Amino acid sequence: MEGSARILVVDDEEIVLDSCTEILRGEGYQLATASDGARGLALVKAFRPDIVVVDLKMPGLSGFEVLERIRETDPTVVAIVITGYATVSSAVEAMKKGAYDFLPKPFTPEEFRLIIRRGVEKRSLVLETIALRRERDLLREHFAAIVSHELKAPLAAIQQNVFVLEQQLATAAPDLRERLGRVKARMADLLQMVDTWRKGVSIDIDAIKTHLAPVSVRVPIDKAVESALVYATRKGVTIEVAVPEPSPRVLGDQGTLTEALVNILGNAVKFSRDGGRIEVTAEVRDDDVRLAVADHGVGIAPDDLPRVFEAFYTQPGAAGERGSGLGLAVSRRIVEAHGGGITVQSTPGQGSTFVITLPALGGDGPGAEGPEAEPLAASAKDGPR
Amino acid sequence: MSERKRLMIIDDDPDFVAGIRAILDGAGYDTEVAYNPKDGFAALKARPHDLLLLDIMMGRGAEGVMMARKLRKDPVLKDLPVLIITGIREQIAFMFPGQAVHPNFVPLNELIEKPVEPDLLLERVRALLKAAETRGQPVA
Repeated sequence: MEGSARILVVDDEEIVLDSCTEILRGEGYQLATASDGARGLALVKAFRPDIVVVDLKMPGLSGFEVLERIRETDPTVVAIVITGYATVSSAVEAMKKGAYDFLPKPFTPEEFRLIIRRGVEKRSLVLETIALRRERDLLREHFAAIVSHELKAPLAAIQQNVFVLEQQLATAAPDLRERLGRVKARMADLLQMVDTWRKGVSIDIDAIKTHLAPVSVRVPIDKAVESALVYATRKGVTIEVAVPEPSPRVLGDQGTLTEALVNILGNAVKFSRDGGRIEVTAEVRDDDVRLAVADHGVGIAPDDLPRVFEAFYTQPGAAGERGSGLGLAVSRRIVEAHGGGITVQSTPGQGSTFVITLPALGGDGPGAEGPEAEPLAASAKDGPR
Repeated sequence: MSERKRLMIIDDDPDFVAGIRAILDGAGYDTEVAYNPKDGFAALKARPHDLLLLDIMMGRGAEGVMMARKLRKDPVLKDLPVLIITGIREQIAFMFPGQAVHPNFVPLNELIEKPVEPDLLLERVRALLKAAETRGQPVA
């Protein structure tokens, strides 16, 4: 709180206003008083107090009503009620209406000073929390922007020139081309990692939830496969897709669903041995759409299985590839935001199967008019953790 | 190609431009570069071009978007094919070629992400130039 705290006392008894003023004199607060609820509320707007001390029992607007209106005007104001008839029930009622604390009459100057001091502390915390939250959101946005532009732009420029160099060295000695190939591959990894980080940081779960629309799972599957193809081809890994016709549909966000699949597919390629095979399948089972990505790679040790969806958990790939440790964590967040779940089964040495389960959307509805988000809430708890 | 096609590149990153320019020059295109939208627009007005390769994040923000909007309002330049090359696809994620245009964005022909593989770049450039030709529109 910048400067001294502003305190407003609302009480119909002049003696209370006077004594409160007297008690707080010299404590370094700015003080305002009002002799009824209506004047008090006017001052809440004009004086913008940090703390409002309000008598519950007043003619005209009651303390309760004043409390309620303060909530509506500015819920961050710390309200303290004075209870004339020292009944716990009215104090409890006031606290339910959002009062921070209560002070039974009669009170001593020390009690009053103490409760004000605590209220001021509370107010500082409230304001600090708001400021920190805002800062966190800003940082998240800025970080995403910085990572995406400031970091990615130079990498893209480097890689673009590597591409050219590769063309120009097409007839150069094999070891030279091989070395350049390494540069290019690692640069591609780095670009991929930056992308994953940025998405991990900037994915806004609430935004996903509010942007759900009917999606044929075929679309994100195809986009994800297309995206993974470069890496897969580099490792000689083939990706086979089997999706029934017509494609099962879910209520989802196509962009982030694609992202979730890209991470899982990228992972499958990473843990596939050279020349391996990956199967991507979709099927409707009961009321769910199951999207499975199965690889026949190195697999995951049983001890590590529970940790694969944790952020920053990472294992080197079949060819020693390094990841950001964020991909699967991001995938899980996305899938859960869709009211679904993600599981993994694995046999070391034989491969892993990741299964995304999403609530199915009736496929034969007319056009793209899907039902509202209602089924999501029902199935959210079914999502395996 | 009966005559060399003239391509305009507007991008504020000289190193990236050097990369794509080498690819385009190598494929026999005439390339011209502007490192900011203002110079780029002036150059487009001054001489006819067959295609514009446009960066999005320039200067203090998405100046490329403003640039593309301005082009679409220009009576002469509105039909100029535009290939957007952007660092961050998601910022304009709602825009995919051939689909309805995001209300806050601009109509444009194609969008590819940086860095761009030489073959992909040349393929897209070729396709856009061909599409412009078959439209039969004498490009600005």
